[in-house]
Amino acid sequence: MTGLRITAVDEKTIEITGIAPVLSHCIFQLPEILRRRESPGIRDRFYQAAQPEDAKVSAEWREISTPELHHLYASAEETVLRDLTGLAEDTVRFPAVHLPAWLTALNQARLVLGELHRVTEADMERIDLDPGAAAKDGALLQIHLLGVLLQLLVDHAQATG
Amino acid sequence: MGSIPIARSIWYLPHVATTQPGTIHLDETETKVDLATPWNVIVHNDPINLMTYVTMVFQRVFGYSRDRAERHMLEVHHKGRSLVWSGGREKAELYVHQLHSHQLLATLEKAES
Repeated sequence: MTGLRITAVDEKTIEITGIAPVLSHCIFQLPEILRRRESPGIRDRFYQAAQPEDAKVSAEWREISTPELHHLYASAEETVLRDLTGLAEDTVRFPAVHLPAWLTALNQARLVLGELHRVTEADMERIDLDPGAAAKDGALLQIHLLGVLLQLLVDHAQATG
Repeated sequence: MGSIPIARSIWYLPHVATTQPGTIHLDETETKVDLATPWNVIVHNDPINLMTYVTMVFQRVFGYSRDRAERHMLEVHHKGRSLVWSGGREKAELYVHQLHSHQLLATLEKAES
């Protein structure tokens, strides 16, 4: 994916070009991946407790923080999915103000895949992936591919403040 | 977040009992302890989050320089956790909430006195 680029078309617009078909495939799977965020066993990763050793405090924390986090996650997801309707061939443009939504949606998708497949640090180091043979390898490939795009968007966010 | 959750010790401050005019009796000794004891914001390692993403989040949430943010990120990566901020409970809770909203693994711990 050497052709993948993030460009500021102008102050208000960001363009991603050179989206390889394999990445495009991953991106189009975002709705399905992000839907799993609310699944049992995965949900706790996104709605953490601040003091996990204290059940009462954790329950209070979750009661207060969960609605806002849910709104934030859902809003980012909706924004990115709307932007993706403009994906044509290997290019997509979206308003620069949507960049935080893209960062969080891509990060969420990677985390969902990681939780679904119990990905470890050692898994992330593997280079012998065989997506055709194992679902976990397919998920790791998706995590890495989405990571490449996320990395470029983080670099862009850092460069543009 | 409209109000900060869990900082009951602070919310409870107005709920004091008066025993006689001009005298205020704080009936929760824990309150005084909580206000005096700093709280630590801890970020834990995660196999998925990109190192650059974590650095960016530290810069944005705490206003840290790139160098300082990277130092904390590397501490998380190599040691499994980093104490990224310490101070009053209410602000610590706000920071933890912000870190959670960026999907970083973060907890709140009372600092050892």
